Amino acid sequence: MFVDGLFTAFSVLAVLGALGLILFRHPMQGAMSLIVTIISLAGLYALLSAELIFVLQLIVYAGAIMSLILFIIMFLNIQTKDLPEEPARFYYFIGGIILLVPVASFLLKIVQSLPDAETTIVGNGFGGVKEVGMILFQDWLLPFEIVSILLLVALVGSVVLAGSKRRLSK
Amino acid sequence: MIQNYLILSIILFCLGILGVITRRNVFTVFMSIELMLNAANLAFLAFSRLHESMDGHVLAMMVMAVAAAEAALALAVVILLHKHKGKLDTNLFSLLKG
Repeated sequence: MFVDGLFTAFSVLAVLGALGLILFRHPMQGAMSLIVTIISLAGLYALLSAELIFVLQLIVYAGAIMSLILFIIMFLNIQTKDLPEEPARFYYFIGGIILLVPVASFLLKIVQSLPDAETTIVGNGFGGVKEVGMILFQDWLLPFEIVSILLLVALVGSVVLAGSKRRLSK
Repeated sequence: MIQNYLILSIILFCLGILGVITRRNVFTVFMSIELMLNAANLAFLAFSRLHESMDGHVLAMMVMAVAAAEAALALAVVILLHKHKGKLDTNLFSLLKG
């Protein structure tokens, strides 16, 4: 019963944050709404007994990625007059909802055909650091290495894009 | 119960698509993509709980790494475009249009 209440609270907060993200005009307010969504999703991960991902969601997403986005938004010093005019936004919304209704109903049909399970907390260290690490470094070692190469490429790419003014102006 | 998590994931994913196709602000489009990645993570973890195997957790970690790389690159591109044009409108960024 308590878990059901927590699930309802977290999911309502997540949907409200997502709505705020796509409805607020200024990106700063949108980023704050996305932080609400991300933190409530972290709570949902804890309810799904994924301890490691819960902590990583808080540290990596809410801590690192969102603070990077907020830092860039504040760094560019966006005033309200710099924002793009979106006069036809609500027509786009109506068109997008019409476009998404068949997709969403198809996915809902698929979800309803799945077997259901209770979401009680699983014991035996399910989702803990040690267990996930064992699987990560045994079965998923090659994807892990590929992700490290991806991060290296992103690092070099962002340094090249944002750093060297000299080479771009030549 | 698991189905509720999957339905929430579908709702968040559709809201992310809606944000991408309706807004013209670069930051909002970018954060909508982050929202879609989060919805995919929620689906991964729900399926992982359904089958009681931890492969979904590993995949969620990979998605987080991809999101971090994407954030670094996309924000560098946004800073560069803002330096060139002084605007954040996606309609103005049409440098690749022949």
